Amino acid sequence: MANAGFAILLWGVCGLFMKLGTNRISARSMVIWVTIGFVILVPFMWRMTTLAGLSAGAISAGLIAGGVNGLGNWAIFASLEKGAKASVAIPLTALYPLCTVILATAFLRERPSSLQWLGIALALAGGAMLSYEPPVAPALEERPQCAQ
Amino acid sequence: MQTEPRRFPVWLWYALLCVFWWGLWGFFSKIGSVSANPLQLQILFTLGMLPVAFGMLVQMRGRLDHNPGGAAFGMLSGLFTGLGALGYFAALRQQDASVVTPVTGLFPLLTVVLAFIVLRERLNKVQMGGIVLALASIVILSI
Repeated sequence: MANAGFAILLWGVCGLFMKLGTNRISARSMVIWVTIGFVILVPFMWRMTTLAGLSAGAISAGLIAGGVNGLGNWAIFASLEKGAKASVAIPLTALYPLCTVILATAFLRERPSSLQWLGIALALAGGAMLSYEPPVAPALEERPQCAQ
Repeated sequence: MQTEPRRFPVWLWYALLCVFWWGLWGFFSKIGSVSANPLQLQILFTLGMLPVAFGMLVQMRGRLDHNPGGAAFGMLSGLFTGLGALGYFAALRQQDASVVTPVTGLFPLLTVVLAFIVLRERLNKVQMGGIVLALASIVILSI
């Protein structure tokens, strides 16, 4: 499980870096720098595999997935830029499999298992609770100091 | 005591938009993974991200923020996400996805701990309960 631990460590730290980055630069600039980070890895991956032999459908699906992933990156950076706490936004957006399950149910005719239904219910409840911010009480008006 | 009417915060709209886009990413990845291996998909994801990044650059009229700290954190975010994915794929070669995916899905817990220590973020009790439910849901949905 060392590799899984490595993934947890890097992805967990990444959530912190996203917030630290959006504290300094705009969400759109973050998208570009993050993409550069991804591009750095491509030559190494290219040595291990090739795209030869892939169907046009698979290539299209992969490219579209990359595009919507980029838009998702922009949205999370915009959320952090607009004041979301990393400790709220990262767990909240990690609930995206909920959306995938719904899309797969609608378009791939997959049927969620009873366990997945439980996961969907927990995701909805967890998402609602994560986004809860107690109402802010207005600041008390300054009262004139009365000299007695 | 009177309180301000509750408004839907802007950050939450963006977070939900992110859930939608990443949900679509999961959907198209599912379609692509029928014939492409994880590494091939990772390369395609990167290529697919390029037009989005280019579109952002055009929107900014080429004025990319060069704050060294921000750029470094941004690049490291991309690098760490990609390297983390490679670690995840390597783990999949040794263990079943039904074990690896739910375990790696717990990564937000580390972010929460780091944000508590480094950024001094504090959550209310409802949000803490939300994190527990969200993590449980991530594990269940990734089995």
